[in-house]
Amino acid sequence: MKTKKLDRRTVLRGLMGGAAVAIGLPALEIFLNDNGTAYAGADSFPKRFGIFFWGNGNLPDKWVPAGNGPEWELTEQLMPLAAVKEHITVVSGMKVATGNSVPHGSGPVGMLSGAPYPIGDETTFAVPSIDQVIANEIGKDSRFKSIEVGVQPDAYSLSYNGPHSVNPPETSPAALFKRIFGPGFVLPGQNTTPDPKLALRQSVLDAVKSDAERLQQKLGSADKARLEQHLEGVRGLEKQIQKMQENPPSLEACLVPAEPKPEYPEVDGRPPLSEISRVMSDIIVMALACDQTRVFSHWFSSPVNNTLYPDATAGHHQLTHDEPDPQPQVNSIVLYTMTELAYLVNALNAVKEGESTLLDHMALLVTSDVSYGRAHSIEEYPILIAGSANGALKKGVHYKSPASENTSKVLLTLSRAMGLVFDSYGQGAGLVNSSLSAIEV
Amino acid sequence: MTKPRTLRAPPPPKRFGWPLASSSCLALLLAVSAAVGACADIEEAPPPPPNLPTVAPQSGAPRLSIAQYRNAVRDLFGASVVVPAALEPDTSLSGFVSIGSAQSAISPRGVEQYEEAAYAIAEQALSTQAQKAALVPCTPKNPTDEECARAFVETLGRRVWRRPLAGDEVTQLAAVVTGAGKTLGDFYQGAAFGIAALLQAPSFLYRPIVGEADSTSPSGKRLSNYEMASRLSFFLWNSTPDDALLDAAERGELTQPQAVRREAERLLEDPRARLAFRNFVTEYLRLDLLDALSKDPTIFTYYSPDLGPAAREETLLNFETLAFDRQTDFRDVFISQRTFVNSKLASMYQVAAPAADGFAEVTLPADVPRRGLLGQISFLSLYAHPTSSSATLRGKVVRSVLLCGEIPPPPVDVNTAIPEPSPNAATLRDRVKIHLEDPFCASCHLKMDPIGLGLENFDGIGRYRATDNGATIDASGELDGAEFGGPVELAYTVRNHPDLGPCFTRRVYQYATSFVEKAADDDAIAALAARFEANGFKVKDLLLDIATSPGFLLAGEAP
Repeated sequence: MKTKKLDRRTVLRGLMGGAAVAIGLPALEIFLNDNGTAYAGADSFPKRFGIFFWGNGNLPDKWVPAGNGPEWELTEQLMPLAAVKEHITVVSGMKVATGNSVPHGSGPVGMLSGAPYPIGDETTFAVPSIDQVIANEIGKDSRFKSIEVGVQPDAYSLSYNGPHSVNPPETSPAALFKRIFGPGFVLPGQNTTPDPKLALRQSVLDAVKSDAERLQQKLGSADKARLEQHLEGVRGLEKQIQKMQENPPSLEACLVPAEPKPEYPEVDGRPPLSEISRVMSDIIVMALACDQTRVFSHWFSSPVNNTLYPDATAGHHQLTHDEPDPQPQVNSIVLYTMTELAYLVNALNAVKEGESTLLDHMALLVTSDVSYGRAHSIEEYPILIAGSANGALKKGVHYKSPASENTSKVLLTLSRAMGLVFDSYGQGAGLVNSSLSAIEV
Repeated sequence: MTKPRTLRAPPPPKRFGWPLASSSCLALLLAVSAAVGACADIEEAPPPPPNLPTVAPQSGAPRLSIAQYRNAVRDLFGASVVVPAALEPDTSLSGFVSIGSAQSAISPRGVEQYEEAAYAIAEQALSTQAQKAALVPCTPKNPTDEECARAFVETLGRRVWRRPLAGDEVTQLAAVVTGAGKTLGDFYQGAAFGIAALLQAPSFLYRPIVGEADSTSPSGKRLSNYEMASRLSFFLWNSTPDDALLDAAERGELTQPQAVRREAERLLEDPRARLAFRNFVTEYLRLDLLDALSKDPTIFTYYSPDLGPAAREETLLNFETLAFDRQTDFRDVFISQRTFVNSKLASMYQVAAPAADGFAEVTLPADVPRRGLLGQISFLSLYAHPTSSSATLRGKVVRSVLLCGEIPPPPVDVNTAIPEPSPNAATLRDRVKIHLEDPFCASCHLKMDPIGLGLENFDGIGRYRATDNGATIDASGELDGAEFGGPVELAYTVRNHPDLGPCFTRRVYQYATSFVEKAADDDAIAALAARFEANGFKVKDLLLDIATSPGFLLAGEAP
């Protein structure tokens, strides 16, 4: 097995506000590729993909920057991203082309899947969302195919495996920590001792699979597919058992983050979203750095959420509809959200991997369910991309669409940047055959 | 107290009659679901009357809801067994988790959580000698006693999977038990792995409704005996069948409607039926959302996080008492001046707090126009905003959930701003005027806002108020031709609305079957509704009628 000596581990203690617990480990080897051999160079780190999503949209007049290409100015709502501007690409002037029959529903379904919102159905996806399309390709070999987190206490996720097959977010930081860094986590460099109970767990899963397969034979095609999804979960458990029996590669930047508090109670009826989001971000960043997963989605807030933000006089959704122009409270909530996005981007950028950073080895799609919330608009859609996907994407540019292009072009660009070989993306009115070459390298 | 005004003329009385689609025993029994005689005279049954209601039964495999999983574990292993809190969140579709469970697929994380829960339960289930004796029907001779492992798997498996296990199933599970027994050197530790396997298996987690051939059924299929045992117990207990119900299935009785009715009557006398009915009401009114109520405590000084759960308990006690203790007209839940309060609710209703902890029945003050469900804090706080009331949200629930009316989704690209309160427009009625005057808005809002404006005397957490921003609240209005002067008359108007009973029937039917009915089921539902009315709107009778109706007994094509 090839190994590659790395620089001294980046100490993240400062970055994470003292939250991280540094675990000193010798640098032995870096990520293995699917063949078990090490990635050759710094830019051959595995690619990662993420989504950061918030609900109820933005105020386009305060969002869309002036300028085009590499020369552009931060606007009021993008100002919180000033420190990471060089890593952010703004895509503006795009439109969700799949129709707008269901306010707050048509937008995110079209944006995240490129397919129309299923008619007569409740929030669901006709096809998998972009994170799962990508996870099916790049998430196969990690312990978790993907990780979904939610920040608002009742946040839901729009990560879908298919119709009525959602991946619910983990909204408890403590539960997320336990899932990733709890008993099933093998420290890099640590030699595993075979636990005989793992084989017993596997024998149980064998019985579960037999039962699922027998039941499948009796069911109609829709229920067969539901059972197949269940089996997919069982195979995920088998992958986890397998990983616990392997000696993991030592990863220079991998640290166990600090254990979160058991609860994050409301203050004056307002959930501490900033604090929760940062704890979640710290865990996600280390889940990526420790190669526990390669795909995540961060559901900061949900479509139609009516959360009370600090100092707000009404719930978020109600404000988007009722607050008189120029909607200063709605503006504050977008700024609050972008500040938390900046924290996540910063944390990804602070993890050194080889000659560059974790952020450089990934693409992060940032979007919402509408643009202008009051009108449920899905034109001038809010879209940001952070990271260069190992140099496949330009960084720090503003792409201003000249003609309300289809947002599916962003999905085609991102999936190609992740290494998927696609000629087109989307369905029906969402179908595109060309990507956004202006932001591709 | 104001007298209720009369609504439009009541619908003409309908004759109740079940389909006699064939001259079969099944069809006749369905026709006279109560007091059925023997099947001997079936062949001499009279020719079917015209315009028979028929049904389009559906097949599928609902996955257990969180409540069903917990209840089943309690009934299988005892109330002392603690189920870990984290399970895949339920999916509510078409208004019911029951329906969402038949359509949604589980996430990989949900499968992980099932595994964690299964081991946590298995470890507790065999932790005492008494438990070991109760679950293992033999004394193991050694850690790998195969005969005992088979007996254990066969006995417990029938209860957990709600059907007898096939030979190869017993063999594989017994091998899990003996394999683990060998590794760990102890039979019972091995048996715990057997329990973990039973609990993670889809045969426990899903309730297949596949059916078996039945030439007398219009769809050609009926539920098998064991499928019927599950469907009945999850409908009426929201939990797994007991041994008596499985024994009835084993005797082949549950393909016979009179036996189904007998079992249903037995189940309804068990305390679990009350819990199951509470579960229905919780799903029906989305009372689960009261756990995450978001209210600004600086505006609503009476708000505290314990308000939502207390308000839910109040509503559930009202429904439960009416259906199972008083056994009177369910519509009275909309007009009752009696309710149940704990000390928190008592302070908000301005009645004396109960002497002891917990809930007590009280009469609401005569000088406050608060009656029934629409005057309860659960309904009023859930269907409101974090900082204010909402006539639209409240009206929408009455119209769509209680009366089964259709409301299209809100339009896009319109300015939805409601003006801030001003001297000229102090009350919500004045502020949402445009909803009812602009024809574009009014086409939908007329179906909702007039109802909700009748409840404006109650703020965003359900406290009574006579004024809003200093102006007197006008809570009069009109609902489908019936005028009301305020919240009390609104309560009676809803209670007497001709769509209330039929809509409730439809909702219970959807919940019971786990499917959205087809148009072909409409006549059958109308017949159930007519019988519900004829029986004085008694909930237990409705539950029995649905449990013995063709849509519940028959299986159909799977999607």
